[in-house]
Amino acid sequence: MTAPAKDDPSGTLADAQELVATPWAVLDDYQCFGCSPHNAKGLQLRFKALPDGLATVFQLGSAHESYPGVVHGGLAGVICDETMGNLIVLRTGKPAFTTAMRLRYLAPIPVGAPHECRARIVNTGDTGLINAEADILDATGGVVATARATYRPVALEAARDRITLSDGDAGRLADVLTASAPALASATAAAGAPGPASVPAPDPVPVSVPVPVSAPKTTSEES
Amino acid sequence: MSTTAEPVLVTVTQIVATELATTADAIDPDLDLRTVAGADSVKVLRMIARIERAYDIELDDEDVFTVTTVREVTDVVERALAAGAAA
Repeated sequence: MTAPAKDDPSGTLADAQELVATPWAVLDDYQCFGCSPHNAKGLQLRFKALPDGLATVFQLGSAHESYPGVVHGGLAGVICDETMGNLIVLRTGKPAFTTAMRLRYLAPIPVGAPHECRARIVNTGDTGLINAEADILDATGGVVATARATYRPVALEAARDRITLSDGDAGRLADVLTASAPALASATAAAGAPGPASVPAPDPVPVSVPVPVSAPKTTSEES
Repeated sequence: MSTTAEPVLVTVTQIVATELATTADAIDPDLDLRTVAGADSVKVLRMIARIERAYDIELDDEDVFTVTTVREVTDVVERALAAGAAA
């Protein structure tokens, strides 16, 4: 089970900032294993903006272990993928599919210990692909895993060929995706710095994006 | 980190020194890192992760787990860079 992102017993992980809602929160059946607050078997990750990206604090229990006392390595991949993927979705305003991901495991992640995953965008090229990196840090700031992945943002209408969305869900998602990029840009600016210039955000629109800590229902397809 | 103008050995040495909390001058390129106090396997992997990021390369684990000196790490990095340039 994960601890809420704002709970940081160590006090040494990134300080609490306003949480950033993922666009999927508007969906009727939001069950993303990584970030839905409604999936009791999921990780229920919550995110906050960083000056150069997105972060989530997590604390997994024995239900998520591989060897006794050690968090399953596959879940480290889930967490990195979720953090990088949602960062790209929030920055581009488009669903983004993971096309490749590589992890390097540096040290075991103990169960019951708070950790933080920090993701940032590395670059985007002419192909439309976006490269991102993520680190998982322990409470002392030591890196215990690194990840690098490539994502392909896809316009929502095109993505509907691959994910299951009702027309109503698609409409609500389109609205919030359009507004999400400026919302994250504002959050990162408030955190102290602009986001990567290599990934331009859509033009701001006069829409107030709700940032629920406990979002309604929905589904994620990002990764 | 700028890697374009510096010889690979210089950059790798600096990364190793940073991870070991020492100065580049204190790093002998031929020193067996396994004999350095505090240079445990986690720190060595952190060095490798930093080096991979610095050069945007992926080193093979067969290399990562067999190199023992900064010079050997540098050789592996240079081979990876050459392979990437040839691809």
